[in-house]
Amino acid sequence: MEFLSLLDITFFLLAGFGALIGIIFGAIPGMTATMAVAVCLPLTYALGLHHGLALLLGLYVGGISGGMVPAVLLNIPGTPSSITTTFDGYPMARKGEGEKALRVSVIASVVGGLISAAVLFLFAPMLADFSIKFSYVEKFLIILLALSVIASLSSSMLVGIFSGVIGIWLSLIGDYSISDGGNGKTRLMFDFMEPYLFEGFSLLPVLIGIFGISTILLEAEKGVKSDLSNERIKFGKGGGFSLSIFKGRLTNLVRSSFIGTFVGMLPGVGGSAASVLAYTQEKNLSRDSSEMGKGAPQGLVASESANNALTGGALIPLLSLGIPGDSTTAVLIGAFTLQGIQVGPLFIPENSETWYIMMTALVFANIVMFFLMFYAIKHIAKVVMVPKHILYPIIVMMCVVGAYAINYGIMFDVWTLLIFGILGYLIQKIGLEVAPLIIGFILGSQAEVYFVKSLESFGTLSIFFTKSPIAIVLWLLILASVVFSIVMGLKSRARHSQEFTTDRSASRLDKKELS
Amino acid sequence: MESGLSSLLSVSIDFETSHLFFPTIIHWIMAGLFVLILVTKVVPFLAEVKRGERTLPIVGEPMDAFRFFGTLVLIVAYFYLMAVVGNLFPYTGYGFLFVSMAFVLLMSLMYMHEWTKKAVTIVVINAVVAPGLAWFILAKLFNITLP
Repeated sequence: MEFLSLLDITFFLLAGFGALIGIIFGAIPGMTATMAVAVCLPLTYALGLHHGLALLLGLYVGGISGGMVPAVLLNIPGTPSSITTTFDGYPMARKGEGEKALRVSVIASVVGGLISAAVLFLFAPMLADFSIKFSYVEKFLIILLALSVIASLSSSMLVGIFSGVIGIWLSLIGDYSISDGGNGKTRLMFDFMEPYLFEGFSLLPVLIGIFGISTILLEAEKGVKSDLSNERIKFGKGGGFSLSIFKGRLTNLVRSSFIGTFVGMLPGVGGSAASVLAYTQEKNLSRDSSEMGKGAPQGLVASESANNALTGGALIPLLSLGIPGDSTTAVLIGAFTLQGIQVGPLFIPENSETWYIMMTALVFANIVMFFLMFYAIKHIAKVVMVPKHILYPIIVMMCVVGAYAINYGIMFDVWTLLIFGILGYLIQKIGLEVAPLIIGFILGSQAEVYFVKSLESFGTLSIFFTKSPIAIVLWLLILASVVFSIVMGLKSRARHSQEFTTDRSASRLDKKELS
Repeated sequence: MESGLSSLLSVSIDFETSHLFFPTIIHWIMAGLFVLILVTKVVPFLAEVKRGERTLPIVGEPMDAFRFFGTLVLIVAYFYLMAVVGNLFPYTGYGFLFVSMAFVLLMSLMYMHEWTKKAVTIVVINAVVAPGLAWFILAKLFNITLP
């Protein structure tokens, strides 16, 4: 319990502040938790490790939760993960039960968040303990597995893998670092680039560019329309909510939370996969699903508990293996590195205090989120109306600060923002996937070291199959993810020929979830 | 047979060129995937475009060219001028402060659809206050390096 002495009032204030800002970001359509973390990064530079973590985790939890506000009130998912919240939330709001719908969602969210935090607390140290024995061979295979899982969940596996490989390629630009046992020579660039790119692109400017600047470009292309001004927010009279709504819904609540946690653990899978899965499970398994889609609280419970359960789930592979579970944790990995934390199997055993502090921050952020949204939701909902022409320039400005200050003032990092902003825009335009690309970029240089070092010490490719039983298991999992993707592809093709329209909306959904 | 397979799988990496070993593999994988995608995705897609069923991304879609290219031009000017002005006042963050004010103002005005007196006033106030606040909190309170 020594870590308790490290908690101070600032810690809790920051976690609460993070949750508030996160909720606001989540509540504005088009802005996500990922963006909230990316934009607020400069604030953490000046904070210490523990305070920085409190702020970041608050932002993460708040950002995921905030998406329910426009989903219920305006039928627009504020973040991709709240897409299924619109199915039942908006019909309820139209019936004048907006506040009731939001309160049901808030309770579902906090339960989902806390259950996943508990799973994280129990499971991450176990996984870390297990993976600590991994050699370079197994580590390389884990990265391969992460990439194949994320690619198999993309709308097309081929495109997913291709995007991932592009990410790896981008990460190889620069030198083959001597500190990793390389020969220190540069590759994949011309000589004149060497002063700027000797160590490759910095991770955070890349992420901020892809998630911040490219979103602005995509919006600018559409003309930055503020189509919200004509909408009237329908709150209803407030009444009608009581805890008895949850009577008989506990199975749903717990099941959806576990689905969310599990999906969160899979690398690169966004929140909408979790909430869609939980929603369809509720539809298939509940005794009476006839009202779902017309304004049934049970739909909200499934959707919101699952998408908040992502937070804990996504942190499991991040903290135990160093592999980010979704795009927000991908930004978190950068923020951790900045604070001098190397996430991976050794993180929890070597930094047990930090680990407990993270758990405290996560649980506290969930609680703050609950109180803020349960009691102040009416006021928070108004930020949905902030015009984009005010918001977007400020976002670009904060992106610049984040990128510039990251390496203590390197102007090239700011240009990196633009390069990857445009790249991110093009990628999304031509139908490549952002999430595999980012995961590939983050893991690419490690994959190289593990692969090359394994071959240097064993001298044969067969080592990847014969090193240990774990290697065989990993190969089986990789195979399973490929088979899964092929089966799903065939299934969707069959459906495609049956009902063209529904399939199109599903694939659109797929795309959204990964962005 | 056995020895044939193991010699096929055996690899030795020259340290001098080891920085190119993994990138070469990635290049081959990329090229292979690119060809596959070209055949399975791009060619059918182009055929659909030709039949007029779908449109090309970016060039074939309606776009707000003024705001899109305006955004790009503004961002490039912003990044460039920030460094230039920043060098005039080193270590103060004034480059960031002043250029951000101009940038926020111009970008807001460009994105605004209905120019009313009230809206423009809000934009102008925001353009002064937001960068000012960011500069004060980050550069003064937190001592973060700004251009």
